[in-house]
Amino acid sequence: MASRRPALVRLTFFVLCRFASLAASGDDRAPEVHAEKAESILIARCIRCHIGDDAKGGLDLSQRSSALRGGKNGAAFLPGSAEESLLWQRVADDEMPPKEPLNEADKSTLAAWIESGAAWPASPLDPFRISTGKSAGYDWWAFRPLQTDFSKAIDIAEKGRNPIDIFVDRELKRHDAKPNPQAKPRDLIRRLAFDLTGLPPEPELVAAFESDPSRKRYETIVDRFLASPRFGERWARHWLDVVRYGESTGFERNEPNYTLWPYRDWIVKALNDDLPYDQFARMQLAGDVIAAGPEGAAASAFLVAGVHNTVIGVSRRMRLLARQDELEEIVGTMGQTFLGLTIQCARCHDHKFDPITAREYYGVISAIDGVQHGERTFESRETAILRNSLESRLKAVSAEISRIENAGRERPSQPAPESIEPDDLPKPYAMWTFDDGPQDGVGSLHGTLTGGVRIESGELKLDGKTGYFRTPTLKKYLSVKTFEAWVMTDDLAQRGGGIVSQQSDDGAIFDAIVFGEQEPRRWMAGSDGFSRTSSFRGPEETEAAARPVHIAITYDRDGMVTCYRDGMPYGLPYKSTPAKFPVNGAHIAIGLRHLPAGGNRHFKGSVLRAAVYDRALKPEEIARSAARESGFLSVENLTARLGSEMAEKHRSLRSQREQLGKELTRASAAPMTKIYAVNAAAKPGPMRVHLRGDVTEFGPVVSPGGLKAVRGDFDWAVSPDSTDRERRTKLAEWIASPENPLFARVIVNRLWHHHFGIGIVETPNDFGFNGGRPSHPELLDFLARSLVDNGFRLKPLHRLIVTSDAYMRSAEFSPENARADAQNRLLWRHAPTRLEGEALRDAMLAVSGELNVAMGGPGYVDVTVTPNNGTTYYEPIDTAEPNLQRRTIYRFSPRGGRSTLLDSFDCPDASATSPRRNVTTTPLQALSLLHGEMTVRLAHSLAERAEREAGQTAKSRVERCWSLVLQRSPDADELAASLDLAERHGLWAVCLGLFNANEFVVTP
Amino acid sequence: MSPTRPEPNEPRTDTGWSRRAWLTNWGVQGLAATAFLDLLRSEANAKDLADARSKGATRIVPKARRAIHISLIGGMSHIDSFDFKPELIARHGKTLVTSETPDTFNGKVGLLRKPDWAFAPRGRSGLHVSELFPHIARQADLLTVVRSMTSESANHTPALFYANSGFAFNGFPSLGSWLSFGLGNETDELPAFVVLPDHRGGPNGGSTNWSAGFLPAEHQGVVFHGDSEPVRELFAPTPEGRSAEPDIRGFIDTVNRRHAQRNGDDSLLEARIRSYALAAKMQLSVPETASIEGESEETRALYGLDDPRCSEFGRRCLLARRLVERGVRYIQVFSGGPIAGSPRASWDAHENVAQNHGAEAARIDKPVAALLHDCHRRGLLDDTLILFTTEFGRTPFAQSEANAAGPGRDHNRYGFSVWMAGAGLKPGTAYGATDDIGWKAAEKASTWHDFHATLLHLFGIDHQRLTFYHNGIERRLTNVHGTVMRDVLA
Repeated sequence: MASRRPALVRLTFFVLCRFASLAASGDDRAPEVHAEKAESILIARCIRCHIGDDAKGGLDLSQRSSALRGGKNGAAFLPGSAEESLLWQRVADDEMPPKEPLNEADKSTLAAWIESGAAWPASPLDPFRISTGKSAGYDWWAFRPLQTDFSKAIDIAEKGRNPIDIFVDRELKRHDAKPNPQAKPRDLIRRLAFDLTGLPPEPELVAAFESDPSRKRYETIVDRFLASPRFGERWARHWLDVVRYGESTGFERNEPNYTLWPYRDWIVKALNDDLPYDQFARMQLAGDVIAAGPEGAAASAFLVAGVHNTVIGVSRRMRLLARQDELEEIVGTMGQTFLGLTIQCARCHDHKFDPITAREYYGVISAIDGVQHGERTFESRETAILRNSLESRLKAVSAEISRIENAGRERPSQPAPESIEPDDLPKPYAMWTFDDGPQDGVGSLHGTLTGGVRIESGELKLDGKTGYFRTPTLKKYLSVKTFEAWVMTDDLAQRGGGIVSQQSDDGAIFDAIVFGEQEPRRWMAGSDGFSRTSSFRGPEETEAAARPVHIAITYDRDGMVTCYRDGMPYGLPYKSTPAKFPVNGAHIAIGLRHLPAGGNRHFKGSVLRAAVYDRALKPEEIARSAARESGFLSVENLTARLGSEMAEKHRSLRSQREQLGKELTRASAAPMTKIYAVNAAAKPGPMRVHLRGDVTEFGPVVSPGGLKAVRGDFDWAVSPDSTDRERRTKLAEWIASPENPLFARVIVNRLWHHHFGIGIVETPNDFGFNGGRPSHPELLDFLARSLVDNGFRLKPLHRLIVTSDAYMRSAEFSPENARADAQNRLLWRHAPTRLEGEALRDAMLAVSGELNVAMGGPGYVDVTVTPNNGTTYYEPIDTAEPNLQRRTIYRFSPRGGRSTLLDSFDCPDASATSPRRNVTTTPLQALSLLHGEMTVRLAHSLAERAEREAGQTAKSRVERCWSLVLQRSPDADELAASLDLAERHGLWAVCLGLFNANEFVVTP
Repeated sequence: MSPTRPEPNEPRTDTGWSRRAWLTNWGVQGLAATAFLDLLRSEANAKDLADARSKGATRIVPKARRAIHISLIGGMSHIDSFDFKPELIARHGKTLVTSETPDTFNGKVGLLRKPDWAFAPRGRSGLHVSELFPHIARQADLLTVVRSMTSESANHTPALFYANSGFAFNGFPSLGSWLSFGLGNETDELPAFVVLPDHRGGPNGGSTNWSAGFLPAEHQGVVFHGDSEPVRELFAPTPEGRSAEPDIRGFIDTVNRRHAQRNGDDSLLEARIRSYALAAKMQLSVPETASIEGESEETRALYGLDDPRCSEFGRRCLLARRLVERGVRYIQVFSGGPIAGSPRASWDAHENVAQNHGAEAARIDKPVAALLHDCHRRGLLDDTLILFTTEFGRTPFAQSEANAAGPGRDHNRYGFSVWMAGAGLKPGTAYGATDDIGWKAAEKASTWHDFHATLLHLFGIDHQRLTFYHNGIERRLTNVHGTVMRDVLA
């Protein structure tokens, strides 16, 4: 601590200050003027430490009352008398603020303010109201609305030029830098090809452009590249870096994740389709809740693509900590990706540099608290289309058959089915007609078939040995209920088969219609250990082998169990105690008494229709339901009643129906696609602030919300206990909006970064205080505004950028310009770019003719995956297998375990978001490119290709290699060196040499 | 010119030198900086570089230049090795008296259990070391034991990440990467950071443990294998490739020179040309270093190469010594592979400490002692550190039912021991202490951040100033924490 100055010196200084302030104009003496200036000083220099419950020395300077009350050392000041104010004494002595005392001007302002009565500014002070020399406030450049009027910036006379160049040239001129001329045609096309597609251009394309290097042709090539599927693959790689896309869990187990690839495919497709960026973002934040189905789920994997510890420990603290770590990982990535803000820094305390409070942090955490890591199951697109078409055809055929059959059934002795009005029929909870397959015709209890069972001619045919039908878990707790079925037995002697059974998922508890178990040939209400079973004492069954009979059992509230046959009471009801099924742990089975499958529990015969009601039907309802289908006739009887023409048609339709049913069964059995995605908890519950980030210290409950600094007026209108759907829908609305200036600025800066190698803001993930400042702020806003005006379509923006003079300049180094601007922030040249590891690998594959351009699907696996006692090891391998010759974007990419090529060429490990890549040059890189199995293999492939394509002479073959790799011919020296090397060791040696050449690895 | 960062917002170091400008230059565009970094690795230049990097920070006089870090996977029991607790012996079979629920991994709190090995004061210093490590015990006068370590996590992988990188997550640079970044290398023929994993498998978390995180890839640990090609892809994969290599290199050089003539100077292109020359040097020096053919019979015996129980670890300790002799900055030697499994291949003695630690110690005791002795007699300890750490300690109570004192112990993050030896340290001393039974750090409780701060201090680096900008933050090995443990310093 600094030693105190003698009081006299302090006083003298004070008097001088006071004199100075008095000497200023009269207006300056007004208390409010002082207050405004004092506020800036207090915010900038004092209240970061002196605020709230944890204020240093107990002194809270954010409000007048607390400041007057003072802290441990007593009242901070006496209004009207600076000299008697402790605060002023400390400031005048340079004790406060510590380390960096106030300058004289600020001191005199403070003194004058106290002298004038210390009128308090807005109360309480908001530490984030203004930016200071140490932190950003709400007025930080990145939070300001996008500029809208560019008429001043863009000179009328310059209209017609690419607006980018107007902004760039102005800065160049201002700094007296001379831009390079346009790059040579070959260099330009190489640059453009790698930039837009990540692959080298074909030699023919370069040659054509060299012969006609017009702007028009250039623009045609730009459009061709933008329309190429390779574009999406190239730019998806950039995006996957940002979203830390990795296909293993990380941490101890680091287990492979083989079902994350649909996310990668979704990104490639979205970029190729030029999906508007706001939609692109919304789908990734909430795809699973705003667009049901596989696409939405795949997109939502953005949230869960990061590392995720699956070894948590048993203590409560460990579990809570693991969950909060998980959420921080997600919020951190989300904030940096879409907002360029490091929200995660506010987990333990308010952000040190940006206006984000810890309370706001937990609001954002609450918004995503429903997010859980997991896998979801969907049928593939193709299957869904096929199944839908089969179903509609089956429906049509079935309707036609019913029409014919109903006509045939119409006879006076039996009530016609049409006489039963649908409204008179009781409404089932679930019903299976088996006309179209195992679907529930009412709800969502669609069945699956297991073992010897099939659906044929509108019947569920059960083999009595292994076959049964089961539904997913019941969403409703069925205690009071009715089961009914139209059923035919294959033989009446069978014992114990279940017809319709409600059972716990393990089969331990069940209620079921059972045939002949305790008493031969009799119907009974089966149950676990016969605990709810008594004999109905009904008659023996004699007809069910010849015609379908209708059997129903009702379970009433009072425990009464009643059985009906063909709509009439069957024997006598009896009373039991209703079963207690596990909640969310029971399902319906047909054809099986209860699990496990096997033994005498399987029914042998056909179930033509079955239903479950969530109440006990009344006798008359049972009768009506039974009557509806009482006109069952055997096919023989029925067709005998139809004319021969009709009978023929009926037969043909039935065979069609059978065929369709088979196809449908096959389609439904197609493997389901598993998609790693958000597995949302429907109601995550309220979130509390975690004090100092401690997972066991809880503060107040917070509502799901955003940041005051970003669209502070956005109305979230969701309560702390709202659903996940509500929360994330709002989150997506808050982020992905034209009203959010960061949202557009951040993405246009990312595009710029990849086109030029450095962004307008050099820190693409951080637009906060610690990030870079824009080199061309107006240009950034102009591009952002254009994006918004374009409906957030990105391709027009790419086009605008790559057709600018700034982009098309040569890469040539200029010492004069470098002296003024070594970093090339003014864009006097287009800096040369070292290919990324992926682009290098893809380029070698492409020029050697080995590239397999198959798109999408599970990634190729170029590592061995070795689980070893709870940890998973990945070791790189190389083979010539076609699948491994795909573009690197399709690589299965677990964390850790990459080839040395990718490793040494700076591919990030995907453990954290990576907005820009390091570019290093090391001996290990050289070793990898010289000796990597793949590099050497591809050198041989390229040699073989050149031999195949370029005739017999050594010269033509060498020239072909040069043309494929570098899109030019060798000069005389280069040709001589190539021929010499080829002669000594073979053409492959030349190819390997070219792969290692600077001209190949570094694009102009 | 600075259109990018107008005053007054540009953060600067105290010296007024903007680190950001330098890093951006390096990381994004100015490949000249990269060339400087990678290619000018002679000792003199490395020193300039270190000055440039931690300007102002180098007011600390460096004591250490290199380190060998022996890293024990799974959690070594401090109360069975370096932390003598008579009170624990006295209270064997009694119940742990506490009002809290101990944060262990499995949550079973059995009765207190005495150590499985006898302790004795050793050497002139009288430092207590147990019979678990009879050979290391004889080198006790060289050790500086920290008996008051604590960890944030009682879960293996987060705990190991903490110990290695100061953070519980994947993605942060490891200690070796920071040293490589901060100090460069003393040799241009070997990597700055070499990793020697256990032959039974990599540690939990695998290669993440030697990842450079967000630091440039050159600071990543390079795994040395024991076979004829110690570094992956050091040589051409085929004999024809090996014989063609000199001519291919000549060809590459010719083509690159022609390209430079046409396109003018460019530092990136020049750097690539030189990287090939360095690669050639590495091809010679790596196999030479990895080969222990020239070592004497006495040395081989010292490291236990004739003893099948410890020859594998002994070979790696000997290799570590050869690497530091040749100027490698940091070598990490792992004891223990994957965590789970039976029998365990790590120090994770949940089931039976006597059995597990007995077997693991037999693998490393003699070689570690040999490394200490050998480095000492060669004078290497004057400017080399040997570090001996583990993820966390083990509980003084058994991992068993509340009324039993079974043979296993659970994870203990509240207090455990590590040691250092060599440059700049007070030898034969202990720092800090746990409570009477060895459960919690009671005196001078220390964190990994403190340990790392101390380590950097020994290397002459102020841990608060060795930073790298990443996603909004000037990142440090010590996060926002860390205090140098002054009392361990000589």
